[in-house]
Amino acid sequence: MTTVTEDTNKPAKFVPGQPDMWAFVLFETLVFTAYFGFYLFYRSQNPELFLHSQAQLDLRIGVFNALILLLSSWSVARCVQSARAAAYGPALKDAFLTAFFGLVFLCSKVFEWARQIQMGNGFGSSDFFTYYFFLTGIHFVHLLIGFVVLGVVIYQLRSPARRNQELVETCATYWHTVDFLWVLIFALLYVVR
Amino acid sequence: MSTVATQTASPLTRRHNPKRELWLAWWTLVVFYNFFFLVFFVITRVQPPPNPAWDTPRVVQWFHDNHFGLLAGFAIMFVITGMTTMSNALIAYSMRRMSVSRAFAYSYLILYSLSAIPGMLLMCIALTVGALRPDRDPELIHWIYDFAFLSFVGTMGVFLIGSLVWMLAILIDKNRVFPKWFGYLNLCNGLTEIVVSPAWIFRGGVLAWNGQIAWWLDMVVFGIYTGVFIFLLRQMIQREDFGTGPLPELLNAAR
Amino acid sequence: MKLKFNKRLLIVWVILASFTLGYLVIDHSAEGQAGSLRSSAVITSSVIVIALIKVRIIFREFMEVRQAPVLLCRLTDAWIVLIAAALLGSYFIGTAIR
Repeated sequence: MTTVTEDTNKPAKFVPGQPDMWAFVLFETLVFTAYFGFYLFYRSQNPELFLHSQAQLDLRIGVFNALILLLSSWSVARCVQSARAAAYGPALKDAFLTAFFGLVFLCSKVFEWARQIQMGNGFGSSDFFTYYFFLTGIHFVHLLIGFVVLGVVIYQLRSPARRNQELVETCATYWHTVDFLWVLIFALLYVVR
Repeated sequence: MSTVATQTASPLTRRHNPKRELWLAWWTLVVFYNFFFLVFFVITRVQPPPNPAWDTPRVVQWFHDNHFGLLAGFAIMFVITGMTTMSNALIAYSMRRMSVSRAFAYSYLILYSLSAIPGMLLMCIALTVGALRPDRDPELIHWIYDFAFLSFVGTMGVFLIGSLVWMLAILIDKNRVFPKWFGYLNLCNGLTEIVVSPAWIFRGGVLAWNGQIAWWLDMVVFGIYTGVFIFLLRQMIQREDFGTGPLPELLNAAR
Repeated sequence: MKLKFNKRLLIVWVILASFTLGYLVIDHSAEGQAGSLRSSAVITSSVIVIALIKVRIIFREFMEVRQAPVLLCRLTDAWIVLIAAALLGSYFIGTAIR
């Protein structure tokens, strides 16, 4: 256990992953913030319509999605730490676990969209649903890219020749972005009144 | 320079001013974008785009107001369109300098050569046709108007794949031709291009072809992206050593 | 060593999950009070603030900003403030203009 305190007292500060990925994360967050800004502005112009449409969403699915993605962030963070400690077996398991959680989110989203469309709420049904499908849609695209990124992680961890801690951390940073973007989207679409 | 560089260096290095053609390509790129901005934003006034929700008489009015601007501006455009080939060639050249397969450069060239037609020329042609005979049937003029702007704004996807090709090349590259963050910026640019596709559905609101998200935000990202890559291409030419290894970092003397 | 770090991550997740579930409580109370659908600046603001707290926790714990150079800490904190300003600003300006 003494090694624990030595590690936590490590003076060396490090940037997790490539700083370049952080630049991307911050830039993309700004773009999304712009989307959110438009959404909130137009929502405040027409609160009744937005409230009415929003009531058609099932908050429980949103909560479930949020918990799943938070779990995936947890597992990928664990993966990074395991990889850093050269425990590549557990790291690989965590990477697969992250992909699994991502897949659950994906299926849940598709199911939710199908349900909404069945209920008659499409992309152009109302201003709210335009934003709903737009925001969840562009987030979905980011999630799909996330699977590619996880693929890179798994590819790296698999072979001793390729293991690159910086790359694993870079990919994890991307995945966390998918997660925290959903935290914001969930709050704005499902909960905000 | 390292011995590796001189062994594999091209005959260009023995010539006076080996970077002459590269600078010519770069300046052509800069001049083209300046003309592009002038023609689209000032002369023809097709950017920012007019409203898709306008009725037919209003659209005819717009053609009437911009009549000479449209004809003159796009005439200039037809003459200078060839400049884009230099721009695409320079970007393809940057990929040839990378440690990645030549396939990246070639596919980018093919993609962008073809994409200029739906991505830009179709609108120029359509609006010129619309402006040529002002006494044409108003319904036809309205059709031309929709066709022009949808083809310009709605076909952003053709550029998306190009961005992804360049991004992939940059991220795999070991010659450090571009910084990795620029690879990711290609992704940002590509993603905003996806966001434009709802313009096919909406005639108003933030996702219409003149909408705050589909056009304004997209333009901001595209503007930043274009400015950045023009700057980085300049740096690349300054750093170029005509070798096949990692591109040396920029020193004050490198020219 | 792995065990201690793992526990910390798990605790972080539990905290984040609690905030998420807290939304259910807010939603429930909102409906309970109003009876019908009603917009509320208070709920909206608090929801946004809570979301940003969660984002900051994700930055600091999951994304390891806590162990990063000070510049990154400041930058991510600045981003949180920026997002808060943009979101709350858009909402309140929109409400004022109406």
